[in-house]
Amino acid sequence: MLAIQLAITGLQTGALYALTAVGFSLIFGSTRIFHFAHGATFVIAAYFFYAAFGAGWGLIPGILASALGAVAFGLVLDRLVYVPIQRHEGSFFTVFVASFGVGIAVQNVIGMIFGRGFVTVNTSLSRSVELVPGVYVSPLAWIAIACAAVFLAALQFFMRRTHTGMALRALSDNPELVRTFGLNPRRIQAAAFAIGSVIVVPAAIITSATTGLNPAIGHHVMLISLAATIVGGIGSISGTMLAGVLLGLAESLALLVVDSQWTEAVTFGILFAFIIIRPSGLLGRAAAH
Amino acid sequence: MSRTDPAQGEPLMRIRNLDKSFGGVKAVDDVTMDLRAGIVTTLVGPNGAGKTTFFNLITGNLARDGGEVTWLGRDIAGVKPHRIARAGVMRTYQDLRLFDGMTVWENVLNATEYGALPIPEGRAARLRKRERIERVLERTGLADKRDTRALDLAYAERKFLSLARIMATEARLWLLDEPASGLDPNSYERFLTILREDVAQGVTVCIIEHNLDIVIGISDRIAFLDRGRLLADGDPQSVLNDPELAKIYFGDRA
Amino acid sequence: MEAYIFNLVNLIAIYSILAVTLNFIMGYAGIYSLAHAVFFGLGAYSSAWVAQHVSPSIFVSYPAAMVAAGAVSLLLALPALRVRGEYFVAASLGLQVLSVTIFSEWKSFTGGIGGVLAIPPVDILGLEVFRPAQFAVLSVIVLVVVLLVINALVHSSFGRNLRAIRDSESAAASFGKNVPMIKTISVVISAALAAVAGALYASYLSFINVESFTLDTSVLVMAMVIIGGTGTVAGPIVGAALLLLLPSVISYFDFLPRTEIGSLQQIIYGLGMTLLMIFRPGGIVGRRSGT
Repeated sequence: MLAIQLAITGLQTGALYALTAVGFSLIFGSTRIFHFAHGATFVIAAYFFYAAFGAGWGLIPGILASALGAVAFGLVLDRLVYVPIQRHEGSFFTVFVASFGVGIAVQNVIGMIFGRGFVTVNTSLSRSVELVPGVYVSPLAWIAIACAAVFLAALQFFMRRTHTGMALRALSDNPELVRTFGLNPRRIQAAAFAIGSVIVVPAAIITSATTGLNPAIGHHVMLISLAATIVGGIGSISGTMLAGVLLGLAESLALLVVDSQWTEAVTFGILFAFIIIRPSGLLGRAAAH
Repeated sequence: MSRTDPAQGEPLMRIRNLDKSFGGVKAVDDVTMDLRAGIVTTLVGPNGAGKTTFFNLITGNLARDGGEVTWLGRDIAGVKPHRIARAGVMRTYQDLRLFDGMTVWENVLNATEYGALPIPEGRAARLRKRERIERVLERTGLADKRDTRALDLAYAERKFLSLARIMATEARLWLLDEPASGLDPNSYERFLTILREDVAQGVTVCIIEHNLDIVIGISDRIAFLDRGRLLADGDPQSVLNDPELAKIYFGDRA
Repeated sequence: MEAYIFNLVNLIAIYSILAVTLNFIMGYAGIYSLAHAVFFGLGAYSSAWVAQHVSPSIFVSYPAAMVAAGAVSLLLALPALRVRGEYFVAASLGLQVLSVTIFSEWKSFTGGIGGVLAIPPVDILGLEVFRPAQFAVLSVIVLVVVLLVINALVHSSFGRNLRAIRDSESAAASFGKNVPMIKTISVVISAALAAVAGALYASYLSFINVESFTLDTSVLVMAMVIIGGTGTVAGPIVGAALLLLLPSVISYFDFLPRTEIGSLQQIIYGLGMTLLMIFRPGGIVGRRSGT
């Protein structure tokens, strides 16, 4: 019974991990920018919702606020930080450090405004309901899984069937190809940031009601996004999705054998195992070297 | 590790039925050739013919799908690129890949430094190396730029630095990927002179080149590659005068 | 007043060692690590344990620290350096996060969250060095030694190999260099020397706990390297001094809330790093165009 309980919780967590990680994977896979501030996007989306909802704005305005915050942050970062850097040098080092710096600044600004402790959004949806004897699931779990399924399916459709989506897939391999189709690589890059940032919104909102928020969760989000991208295979969004779910499940099921403070260790263990045994990841096509 | 002059014409690298595919497309298709001591072979062919892939295969950067490649009698399968390099097979890159953060002197010096551990050499060895590098810089015309960062050099100087690096080593086989493209006529005259001097000393060279003047001026043999297949392999005149090959090279296909 | 200055000197020296050793792999080899605080911590805990249970002699506890950190860094480097740079960043982040958990849970070695107390002062040939002024002499000497070692390495063939790898791994391999091995050795050297900073820290404060060895610390050291400049061996010392003095500078401005000094410090160096990357990638001391 405990195993089933943990499995369902694991799926819930995994669904949220998948959404968040796919955002990073999409950005990194198409633009090759090591967007280490992705964790900050999550933090902004989460706290904007928390603030809006807490101020009595209601659910839909809260979601809108969160989405606008996330997308604006992603686009601003692209325009004001990454594009100037790409123009003069754009080495991995420079992009990574700049990205990282922004992440730290955001974390601390949020901390100054909202405090460093854990906060949660109060909603009846987070109350668990006994599904079968011994197994308690809250409606949020189903919402999380449903959101992940819907948004990720929508993303797949977008990537395969729309021009922008296909351009995103082409961008990392061949920016010139994108130009010959009359599309502007700079615009496509911005689209990558917009989409990659907005897709974390459902995960951020649900997390604010389940596990709760504190300004430092950006680090955890980043670790998961990185781990899922690598384990799933760099360049494969489906792989990242799968890996996100797997990491969520593994973290949850690990509670059968270890205490809760070791769950991040489980993530690291899986990441490390893949780096050693199968660096190309589950579904990766890019070479590991 | 002195360079003993092998009998001219002795095959140092033997390539037999070399195959490599990428996702169903044959990049190198059943290529067989010998790279013989003291001989300059030039690889020509249209873009995408598989020339750089061929280089990557014989330097160990890519794993082959089929066939055999031996260097000095030993199969290179599974041997890491850095070991093949130490065994005497070295290359330059079309996009140069200089050590941009280092000076000209450091670039050339470092080309000769293989060891992983920071063990200092003896004084005599260091002096000999110093002399060797001086000579190389002299010959490539980079002597007065020795303290300039590679990043700050002019285009032609960068191309010569790329050559200088390999000249400083004791490699027996030089694989040069478009070493002279974009050079003005004076520069590539100088370039050819340098190559001729080293070849006379026993170096074996395989060049990928588009510039037909280089091809005629320096080659002992020309190998024509198209879509991975070796279409011709022989003396320059017969290969270059073949009308069929000219058609393929200049883009008219039947 | 004097004690304050000597205290500052000691902290700057210790963090300078961390920054200089991190620059060795980041600036010269192009290996980006978020786990530097792990080796700082390993050095501190190992030397503390050895000082308490074996001998407080500097010739025993400090080398023990280096060996412990070097060994663990091997475990990280051997697999993680064979693949792309992004993997190493991810693995180092994971290791840092994991280590904080281990440091907090391994009570017999690290004292858990409570930390290690009553670490005996370091003993140099019978002389116990613990007063801030005396210790300042020791810490500065150790810093100078570390600088000399790193400088010698940078100007040797090993240093050139590192820079070659940073500039073009494929070309480096084409010229006979065993890239994974060289990268691994550089990581081990960096970790072992960072551990010396940890040993100094432990013997100076005589009390250590996990709070000093978290991701925040790794990030702070990285900021010191960036702001100080990656192009020179000594640049990071400037970064270390600046960032350690920053809280004092901030508290000078009365209108800024005391409780938020930590946050403000982080915001300043976070944005500082970003702005530097946009306008002057070489940092404050380094060359204008970066690498």
